[in-house]
Amino acid sequence: MPTVVIASPKGGAGKSTAAILLGTELAHAGAQVVMLDCDPNRSLTLWADRGPLPDRMQVLSNVSESDIVKMIKHHDTDGQIVVVDLEGVASRLVSRAISQADLVVIPMRATTLDATIGVRALQLIAEEEEALDRTIPHAVVFTMTKAIRSKQHTGIAGSLIEQGVDLISPALMERAAFSALFEFGGDLRHMPPQGNMEGAIENAAQFAKAVYTRLTGEV
Amino acid sequence: MSDGKAFNIDLGRLKSREKDHDRQAMEKVERAGEDLGFVSRDGQKRRGRRPSLRTGQVHAKVMPEVSEAIANEAKRRGVQQGVLIEEAWALYINRSDI
Repeated sequence: MPTVVIASPKGGAGKSTAAILLGTELAHAGAQVVMLDCDPNRSLTLWADRGPLPDRMQVLSNVSESDIVKMIKHHDTDGQIVVVDLEGVASRLVSRAISQADLVVIPMRATTLDATIGVRALQLIAEEEEALDRTIPHAVVFTMTKAIRSKQHTGIAGSLIEQGVDLISPALMERAAFSALFEFGGDLRHMPPQGNMEGAIENAAQFAKAVYTRLTGEV
Repeated sequence: MSDGKAFNIDLGRLKSREKDHDRQAMEKVERAGEDLGFVSRDGQKRRGRRPSLRTGQVHAKVMPEVSEAIANEAKRRGVQQGVLIEEAWALYINRSDI
């Protein structure tokens, strides 16, 4: 089963939130999901400790540079999807994890700073593709977007599309429910209502579906 | 809250690809990453200098003064003696039109 690596050398880009939304929605849709927490800040672990994990989900903590490859290899087996949440720095752990990915999702806020630093992940993927002589499918998802798209967002999206970068639609909007995952743990469907809950669930589900279609090769 | 599923997972359609796990592949990945600043952040770093790419050996005996001259020149330039042999070989190839 595939390994999805959530990567960006930029901190605060929304990697852990994207990883949790993806993992919980894939589990809700029927997949067995293994989440690997490779972030020294232990965001996934903190989330997992907050409340009961959804069915069909397992979170493994403290995955380091020295064991990331064997951890992915061990869990990348029939019947489950591996979601890897990386640290927000440029590190060897990141390059090793990307080398084992079936899909790399790069969360990026629609700001010039995020885009500038996020592009380093795209450069790394290109270098690894050349080094390994294989394609590493990858896509950018904008995070913390607003209902009204800024000019900056439109400009960055246009620039990425021009460069042939795959953009995941829908973007992950800035939503109270997404932030509240770290307060209540679990998934969106089992937390006390936060803001527009139906909208948040729909956003997360459509994001996960968009990732799923990439894993099945439909995109 | 809604329990409806936006989509269902068809496990048969989820395919994992063959990935390189061997040491050579990982070294390639690490070199590619390091060029872009993706370096080791682990506390336990490998000690000492990195292993040289120059692992091929020649077993040529030369006159002592030539050996000494090569050693001195390599030391002066701060390179391994193999670098001088590689350069000499390149000159030889050019001159011989091989």
